[in-house]
Amino acid sequence: MKKLYSNKYIILSLIAPGLLTFVFAILVPICLSVYYGFTDFSGIGAANFIGLENYTTLFKDSGFWMSLRNSLFLAVGFILIQHPIAIVVAAILDKLQGKAEGFFRCVYFIPNVISVAIIAYLWKFIYNPNFGLFNKILQSLGFKGDVNWLGSGNAIWSVLLVLIWHGFGWGMLIYYTGIKNIDPVLYEAAAIDGATSAQTFMKITLPLMKTVIQMNVTMAIIAALKQMETVYLLTNGGPGNETQFLANFLYKEAFKSYKYGYGNSISVIFVIICLAATVILNKIFAEKDERRKRA
Amino acid sequence: MKKKLLSALLAFTMVLSMTACGAKESSTSDQASEDKVTIKVFSNLPDRTNGQGFVEQTLFDQYMDENPDVVIQVEALDDEAYKTKFKAYASGSNMPDLVNVWGQPSFLNEIIDANLLTELNAADYADYGFINGSLDGFSNDGKLYGLARNTDVMGFYYNKAIFEKNGWEVPQTYDELIALAGKIKDAGLIPCSMDGSDKWPLSIYVHDLMQKIDPDIKTQVQDSIANGDFLNPVYAQAAGLFVDAADAGLFQSGFETTDYGTAKNLFTNSQAAMFYMGSWEMSMATDENVPEDVRNNIGVFMMPTVAGGAGNVTDIAAWNGGGYAVTANSKVKEEAIKLLNFMFKPENWSKLCWENGICMSAQNYSEYLTGEETSAQLDFTDIVSGSTSVTGVTFNDLGTSEFKTLSEDLSQELAIKSVSVEEFIGKLEEAGK
Repeated sequence: MKKLYSNKYIILSLIAPGLLTFVFAILVPICLSVYYGFTDFSGIGAANFIGLENYTTLFKDSGFWMSLRNSLFLAVGFILIQHPIAIVVAAILDKLQGKAEGFFRCVYFIPNVISVAIIAYLWKFIYNPNFGLFNKILQSLGFKGDVNWLGSGNAIWSVLLVLIWHGFGWGMLIYYTGIKNIDPVLYEAAAIDGATSAQTFMKITLPLMKTVIQMNVTMAIIAALKQMETVYLLTNGGPGNETQFLANFLYKEAFKSYKYGYGNSISVIFVIICLAATVILNKIFAEKDERRKRA
Repeated sequence: MKKKLLSALLAFTMVLSMTACGAKESSTSDQASEDKVTIKVFSNLPDRTNGQGFVEQTLFDQYMDENPDVVIQVEALDDEAYKTKFKAYASGSNMPDLVNVWGQPSFLNEIIDANLLTELNAADYADYGFINGSLDGFSNDGKLYGLARNTDVMGFYYNKAIFEKNGWEVPQTYDELIALAGKIKDAGLIPCSMDGSDKWPLSIYVHDLMQKIDPDIKTQVQDSIANGDFLNPVYAQAAGLFVDAADAGLFQSGFETTDYGTAKNLFTNSQAAMFYMGSWEMSMATDENVPEDVRNNIGVFMMPTVAGGAGNVTDIAAWNGGGYAVTANSKVKEEAIKLLNFMFKPENWSKLCWENGICMSAQNYSEYLTGEETSAQLDFTDIVSGSTSVTGVTFNDLGTSEFKTLSEDLSQELAIKSVSVEEFIGKLEEAGK
């Protein structure tokens, strides 16, 4: 068997499917994207080389800045709202034990099991100003109940709520698994020393969860940048461009305005932003690690 | 031995997986259908049991019965998905034979420029009864590239029962319409249900008003877009009147994010007294999913006249939008044209659509009147036969696809006041340039 794996052709045949998939499904499209980003291609007909024009237009496009701002806003929302709650809920779940633990774990994960399309329509109905659940609740509480939840000014908050709610289960489940992997002996020792649950959480759970938090935060930022489906179905970036996000903006320019060349230039910037975000995060975490080690 | 066997097996698997990637349709089915002609149809009517999709499928089935050597393969997608895939088809070499097209510059110009459509012989359709001008949108440089499916008219559907019960009259002027909105709101109902999320109904509303202010505006709009010149006060006046309606609460709360289905439901569930939409929705009156008390009480009126405007109520927002064309690279071009011609024989599309109360064809359907028409059908017939001018394709569809996106976005932004009338005009000019 060992000899078999040292045969170069065998190795080649084993990595070929993966390699081919990578080259033709990822590498070539990225290269084509870079190329088309320099053209005025409309999807049909000839693609004329126009140099950096798409990029200069892009940096002047208010829609682009709005969608980038919203994407970063969402990333901040994930990190400052969704994840802290997810960690605390995961820690509480861990303490619950027994049937309740399994029950609540399922309940919190349910939104992730439901299709995005259904989630979006569900919330569209909840937010509907004429017959939606939220306004009906407000009315039953004696308020006027005529809030236009997806209207100008409110829309971005309503969309953030849905996205944070929807992604919550994933984050929580990963934190929960992380907590489960912490050696219970540590908790026992802490309990013997008389540590409160807040102290245990801050001094044991959080430090030992560091790698999990790092991974989750990186994933959250990337998820925020590439957010598309829910927004497309819920508001499609509207009203105006108020709830426009990067990926949806790209889709709109490329597939509604049929500016494929422009769409490709957005996708190139999009990839660069995603890479930069990942590199910066890794740097931040690595620096912290080093500082801690030195200390 | 074992090793050789294993490597042979791996190599075999690899070869198999690679050939699978480029596999063509199996040869057995090719042989079986060798003497049959397969016409591939790409349609934007995914519902094959209701509405126009039903009529289309009925005609295809009938054609296959009459021509046993023809097989028709239908691929159907919703409008947006359709347009995206159409582009994908267009950039490849494997376009379906008969395709749905829109007789609007924003859709058709690029496709004709790229030589993707077959020229049709206009003389063939002399006795098909196409209404004058209905094929203009499908023609370019005097050549005909497609046939129009319908005559689309935009108007206000209203619930006659609700109007009668409350003693409301059909408004004759725009001011009356705005005043009526107040009364309907006081009665606890939504005055007019509007699909603002799709944005195009908003643009059509603005153009409808332009037609009421100046019925000759049609001749100017295309130039205005081409030159980025919207100085004519008609544009700003129409935009202002549209904002007035939104301010007065003519449309439901949150109309700017209400989608088509929800907007329609507000009307069919009697929550809204009116619904601003096209004549293709006349089938609400025959749709059994619509509650009976609404279904039997649907009336239609046109955008009322505007104070100081030169237009009458008979100057209407109407155009010929959807239609069909045969692709230039089709291998069964002749057969596809035959099928197209069969569909549009007056006794086929036109008659079936009318008899089933689905829509008004782009052909003269007067000989197919049954005497059992719904009131919506009768209203629309009167409106079209009495019209003194029509808008033709509305301004949002008269430019490039980029102009369409921008102008429709602007109509929505105007409605929610994130741009003023002046900014609306200014940005339209920019978009045109």
